[in-house]
Amino acid sequence: MASTELLPERSLPQRPRAPQAGPLASRIELLLELVRRDVRSRYRGSFLGVTWTLLNPLIFMIVYSLVFGKFLHVHYPGGSATVFILSGLLAWTFFSQALTQATNSIVANAALIRKVAFPWMLLSVSSVIAALVNYVISLVLLIPFMLLSHKGVGPPLIAVPALVVVTFALSLGIGLMLAAANVYFRDMQYLVTLGTLVWFYLTPVIYPWSLVESKFAGHGFEGVAAQFALYANPMTWVVLGFQDVFVFDRWPQHWHGLCYSVVVSLVLVWVGLRVFRRLRRRFAEEV
Amino acid sequence: MAGPAIEIKNVSKRFRVYHERTSSLKEALVARRRARYEEFWAVRDVSIDIAEGDSLGIIGENGSGKSTLLKCIAGILVQEKGSIAVQGRLASLLEVGAGFHPDFTGRENIYLNGAILGLPRRYITSVLDEIVEFAELEHFIDNPVKTYSSGMYTRLGFSIAVHVDPDILLIDEVLAVGDEAFQRRCIERIEALRSEGRTLVFVSHALESVRAVCDRGLWMDGGEPRELGGIDAVLAAYLAEVNRREEAELQLTTRDELDTSPGRMGIRITSVDLAGPDGPTTVLNTGDPLTLSVRYAAPNPLKGVRFSVTFLRGDGVPILTVPTDDLETGDTSLPREGTVQLALPGLPFLEGIYRLNLVIASIATGEQYKRVEKVRPFRVHSADRHEVGMALLGYSWELPRATSKAGRR
Repeated sequence: MASTELLPERSLPQRPRAPQAGPLASRIELLLELVRRDVRSRYRGSFLGVTWTLLNPLIFMIVYSLVFGKFLHVHYPGGSATVFILSGLLAWTFFSQALTQATNSIVANAALIRKVAFPWMLLSVSSVIAALVNYVISLVLLIPFMLLSHKGVGPPLIAVPALVVVTFALSLGIGLMLAAANVYFRDMQYLVTLGTLVWFYLTPVIYPWSLVESKFAGHGFEGVAAQFALYANPMTWVVLGFQDVFVFDRWPQHWHGLCYSVVVSLVLVWVGLRVFRRLRRRFAEEV
Repeated sequence: MAGPAIEIKNVSKRFRVYHERTSSLKEALVARRRARYEEFWAVRDVSIDIAEGDSLGIIGENGSGKSTLLKCIAGILVQEKGSIAVQGRLASLLEVGAGFHPDFTGRENIYLNGAILGLPRRYITSVLDEIVEFAELEHFIDNPVKTYSSGMYTRLGFSIAVHVDPDILLIDEVLAVGDEAFQRRCIERIEALRSEGRTLVFVSHALESVRAVCDRGLWMDGGEPRELGGIDAVLAAYLAEVNRREEAELQLTTRDELDTSPGRMGIRITSVDLAGPDGPTTVLNTGDPLTLSVRYAAPNPLKGVRFSVTFLRGDGVPILTVPTDDLETGDTSLPREGTVQLALPGLPFLEGIYRLNLVIASIATGEQYKRVEKVRPFRVHSADRHEVGMALLGYSWELPRATSKAGRR
């Protein structure tokens, strides 16, 4: 040290060291903290706060059931149009919200990425978990409508967490890819908005599966294309599963489809992790 | 711990500089070519071992690659070539308060920021009061940070960061925040970490801070390591080079345009010249005689005016203002044009670059007729002097007489 002042030697008390959490434990702590931030910051400063989580799907449900049920005379099986639409709509809202937020999760934290090294992937993961938290809150909406529809709720309810896990895995896998890609191509966020809208109509949320299933035959190429899009869509089988449980109080019927969705979701998570790890190398430069 | 704390082997880092950033998909698809960019190597082939308990200061000009190297060590950037091996828990402090959420309170941000820096929640709770106290934010900790002043913001950020308790601490420039007293405590905190045997890598422009906390120095120049060694030797070599470059630049700019336009009452300053012991010059030594000649011109003889000269340090801080004596100039009528001369028998300034402000003003009203700022830069050398600081004062020391047996320090 350059200083040559004659200061009395300071005896420094040996401070207790900060505890070293293992890498996994500290990741989980950080993830929880980020989820807390995402959930809290969403509605902070808004007048209705968390009510929006319920209000949003409620309004859409009313609009859809009016337009499709009342005006277009779509017959919803199971007796209750509201329960039918809500059971798929809530899951879809979870899925699309997770994708939108995950897409922006890296770019929105640019200042942090440029200056602090930590497992950046957790930013994307936490945005998907925040959407999940929202979904769980929004499930409250289903309760009054299910009571009104006089349908019982039985053991098939156990299938709900499994369906949620599949939805989660699908959004995580795709979300990770979109988050990383958005750093390099900012168009991604607009594509995602458009893409989820198209995807929404290719998923049997606001129309019953029975209605479209009967209409594929005899429509030539378009029929085949539409059929392919609906069948290949992993969300189709998840949404049908939710409808089976909430509307019909039965175990998910489309087992083959669900197995397909599980496989797709696992592949997507694997690909998502790989893509993210590959692209993260230049995040701090490009973000 | 076997081996060095940080082992840097042949590390090179390349950046892409985009001419026109292709961040839209359309451009990428339409242009077919890859995005138009140039590559440049910000860090070229750097190899250093930093031993456990070492403190390394990295210095160099802007764009010399010192921050890039630090970010590679931190793991924020990934080098294209070479390898970096780190042993022990590493924390980087490149910007305080990065990732603060403006709508959250200080308290909430402590938990969030702490978690990002790798601190367990329970530990944060146990040192929360200490963090708040260090940041001097006892009364504001439950307000949203968007209501904080920038000083409060940085104090909170730094306070969290110094409570991260790493084996290796990387610091970039962040000491240049807060007031003097806060900076003092930050340096004390860093010195405490050092005395506990932690490894430190410090990047800064504040050379005196580097000297205060580092034992070893690395001088980066154009992405390459130029000099590695003891901090004093590296700083001396670096300063010598900076001086050389500044002098070369001074030679170019010293004949720059002086604002000779007429001010109020048509008063102009037509030239300002510096002369040292050997005639006109821009480079002087401390203690040299200095003569400053200011030529003025006016439509009418000047009466009741005051000339004043202010010496400014390189960064614009005024050191000394010398006005003419009002008694002398007050009633005297000065010719329409002429030269006023200021003579300093011995230049009191130490090493550095200095500039001048000149003012011709009314004694009665203080109205400034003509003012020119930051002109005639000149360089002062004081290499042979042992004093440190800005200017020399007359002084003498008196020491106790050594008795025959007393040991000498």
